[in-house]
Amino acid sequence: MKWMYSQRLAPYLFVLPFVLSLTIFFVYPVLSTFIMSFQEVLPGQTHFIGWANYKNLWDESFYTALWNSSKYTFWTIVVLIPLPLALAVFLNSKRMKWSGFFRSALFVPALTSVVVAGIVFRLVFGSLDASVMNSIRHLFGFETINWLAGSTTGMLVLIILATWRYAGINIVYFMSALQSIPDELYESASIDGANTWQKFWRITLPLLKPISIYVITISIYGGYAMFTESFILWSGNRSPNDIGLTMIGLLYRHGIEKNELGLGSAIGVVLLTITMVINVIQLRLFGLFKKED
Amino acid sequence: MSVRKFNPQTLLLLVLFVILGAIALFPFYCLALASLKPSKELLRFGLNIKLQTDLLSWHNYSFIFSKGGAKYITWYKNSLVITAVYTVLCMLFSSMVGYGLAMYRFFGRNLIFFFVLLVMMVPIEIIMLPLYKQMIALNLIDTFSGVILPFVVAPLPIFFFRQYAAGLPKDFLDAGRIDGCSEYGIFFKIFVPLMTPAFGAMIIVQALASWNSFVWPLIVLNSGEKLTLPIGLSSLVTPYGNNYDILIAGSVLAIVPIMLVFVFFQRYFVSGLTVGGVKG
Amino acid sequence: MKKALHYSLALALVSSIVLAGCSSNNNDNDASASSKVAAGTPTSLEFWTFNELHQKFFESMTEKWNAAYPETPIKLTATTFPYDDSHNKLLVALQSGKGAPDLADIEISKIGNYLKGDPQFVPLNDIVEPVKEKLVMSRLDNYAKDGKYYGIDYHVGAQVIYYNKEILDAAGVNADSIVTWDDFEAAGKLVLEKTGKPMTTVETTDQWTYWPMVVQHGSDFLDKDGNVTLNDQGNLDVLTYLQKLVKENVAIPAPGGFHHAEEYYGFMNGGGSASIWMPMWYMGRFTDYMPDLKGKIIIKPMPVFKQGEMRSSGMGGTGTVITNQTKHADLAKKFLEFAKVSKEGNIEIWKQLGFDPIRTDAWTDPAMNDANKYTDYFGTGIFTFLDSLKSEIAPTNIKEKTPAVSDVIKTKAMFQALNDLKDPKAVLDDAAGSIK
Repeated sequence: MKWMYSQRLAPYLFVLPFVLSLTIFFVYPVLSTFIMSFQEVLPGQTHFIGWANYKNLWDESFYTALWNSSKYTFWTIVVLIPLPLALAVFLNSKRMKWSGFFRSALFVPALTSVVVAGIVFRLVFGSLDASVMNSIRHLFGFETINWLAGSTTGMLVLIILATWRYAGINIVYFMSALQSIPDELYESASIDGANTWQKFWRITLPLLKPISIYVITISIYGGYAMFTESFILWSGNRSPNDIGLTMIGLLYRHGIEKNELGLGSAIGVVLLTITMVINVIQLRLFGLFKKED
Repeated sequence: MSVRKFNPQTLLLLVLFVILGAIALFPFYCLALASLKPSKELLRFGLNIKLQTDLLSWHNYSFIFSKGGAKYITWYKNSLVITAVYTVLCMLFSSMVGYGLAMYRFFGRNLIFFFVLLVMMVPIEIIMLPLYKQMIALNLIDTFSGVILPFVVAPLPIFFFRQYAAGLPKDFLDAGRIDGCSEYGIFFKIFVPLMTPAFGAMIIVQALASWNSFVWPLIVLNSGEKLTLPIGLSSLVTPYGNNYDILIAGSVLAIVPIMLVFVFFQRYFVSGLTVGGVKG
Repeated sequence: MKKALHYSLALALVSSIVLAGCSSNNNDNDASASSKVAAGTPTSLEFWTFNELHQKFFESMTEKWNAAYPETPIKLTATTFPYDDSHNKLLVALQSGKGAPDLADIEISKIGNYLKGDPQFVPLNDIVEPVKEKLVMSRLDNYAKDGKYYGIDYHVGAQVIYYNKEILDAAGVNADSIVTWDDFEAAGKLVLEKTGKPMTTVETTDQWTYWPMVVQHGSDFLDKDGNVTLNDQGNLDVLTYLQKLVKENVAIPAPGGFHHAEEYYGFMNGGGSASIWMPMWYMGRFTDYMPDLKGKIIIKPMPVFKQGEMRSSGMGGTGTVITNQTKHADLAKKFLEFAKVSKEGNIEIWKQLGFDPIRTDAWTDPAMNDANKYTDYFGTGIFTFLDSLKSEIAPTNIKEKTPAVSDVIKTKAMFQALNDLKDPKAVLDDAAGSIK
């Protein structure tokens, strides 16, 4: 067994679980999906149809879904990275009180059952005068609006829902990363005369880079894969004029709702390609694939 | 407490967080309030947030713990078992892989990392059907193992551990080797303690993911007595009427385990509780 | 530390054993059992549904079956899954050829998907055809393909209109005087003038306002061969009329978008509008979510565009199918017949589920007038009323494109015409054109 302990072999043993899991559980399904994207899949009648699925998928709803998913991804990154980052720094600060309680409070949304969160949000953003958000609008002298019926307001509500639900989790990521920054760095900076802002900008932020890259990457993926939130808000995959239709929503509609698994698979392959390309570009930019660490 | 402790910055921060906290907790407040009232009241006048103390009672909760709510208890137990086993195994495997990717330069390293990202970005809806067939072939349908195994080596935590480990000083590797530690010893004795905040975060996040997981358990599990909480709660909302009694109170109770996990593990990433060599 | 490594491995090992243990007990296949079972040995049948009430219904019917046929007892394992996803699950199981249950519920808007390709179900002609004249056959046609019947529905889903009598009285309107849609419009204007309330609400993200009107007017979304007729004259008449009502404020878009929205229930419960037209099965929503309207709601036949048109139609529905993966086709068929095709089974459907059953000779059975929560709310005589509509229940064409059409109605057509108030012809042409 001595060979198991060799330094050369160690990395391979460390990554072995992933390689096994990949081979057993993913290679076949992903290949299968890829193959299905070239077929029309019906029980007893599955047959190859070449590129037909790929040709057929570029319709209006595809562009709507792509646009919606892209908008959503963009806004969630803009909101759900700086905001939790800042909040994490505040919560971590020595000047903060009862931060444990607030951390927990901000985390609760992630735990609330999807079903029930939907009921509450649908009612809070309801279209009648009496709904909570419309009442707030009245306070400021604005009129009642039908929040879930318009493209802009619909997207706004989605972003609010996402922020409400996931800010707490991103705070958790950033807070854990903040612990890896030694206090001495801050102390010596203070001695050198740095103020809070400078410390944040030149110590905290750069040292949070690895985790920020992580959060950005999963946010890009998460943004394009978003489905549940839209499903919750419109009680199903049926927002008016498809204002809430996302890429996965589209996939679900074709693959499951209309039983067009071949087309659904093709959409899946396209989606995967898009997210992969965006993330590889983003990661290259941040130097993740460089030889040196 | 002396006045000095409440300097303006603290006050400002507190005001900010009280507002944010209120917003975050508002839906939960509606939910908790509704769970203490008869189910009809939730929707009677639109979203009902009035206190209505005359209607408050523990009735819904006692119903859950009575015979009528037996299936809820079953769902709860199933979710607990699956989440507990999943989280432990996931932490073990994911940290190993992430660490390996960060700490060593070896042939295939970037390729494997690329595959980690790839697996992460494949949405389950795409591979659902073939993975289901795979489960049939492996005889894992309608088993808890079938729910856990395909996802136990999870790309998200692998990625996170990798990033986290990459930010830690490599000198410990050399120090450990000089001391005669095996590579695995270095991992378990030196780096695992150093990565405690990462574990803290990942345990919370992965336990949450497993607890809320819906699509895959639904596909794999067939027997009513194996269903998990999200599936069960969702089945209470039907086109023919919602079983709000169990749904509302049940959703409140569903928060408890993960909240406990959170409260317990969050101290691992609280300022001041750094462990081991980071402090020099 | 080596110990930590060993502990972790041990834990992993133990977990796998425990989990493996959990998996073994529920995979008994009745592979060896044939349809002829020894007297007294129960045959296991698995049933998937998305409505707990259906589950309870089948469980109670199993007990009745076992009492009536002790030589061929059944052990029913029924599971309720979430609505959308139970269809998802079933589709995956049928596509992969394994893992499907013996019996399953499929909702009418989804059946089109399962009829594509070769339907993976057992044909039910031999239990349906003998009693053809006593069944509302249009309900069985919905679940049929190429002359083979595959699903038995729970109900007719007869379309009716529910009036809030309190509001009508306040405006001086007599519900029985509303016979045509023109009458309805006039009454609506009166109600609006006298009480300030809209006469009705229309769904902008669902199809229950629009579809019954189209079908009763003599058209449909698809024709008998499954071709799209969404933009024909009949459809256009209805949509134009509905848009007119909205423009006159006689009708408003339903709060929340559809009649199952939480916002709608609160609104209607508070006396927000004077009427709603939905199928019979909507009665349960009134009793469960709109308690303050008890005793104030009256049920009437729908208005018509011109005399002679049918005043009702069969809307919605859930059919129980027997999948071709069952190993007990004969027994399952007999059981299904007992539960949902027989007269007694259908009476139970009303008693337990509050649905209008598909067996017409059950409607005149005195048992149907017994007191239950529906008679408490709406009064007695519900089925005497329904019986008078027996020959006016217009059938619908449910074909392979139904899910696609439903989809475009729910996400685009209704909203554009009734919320955005776009030109009805353009909306329908667009919608029809987008269905491939």
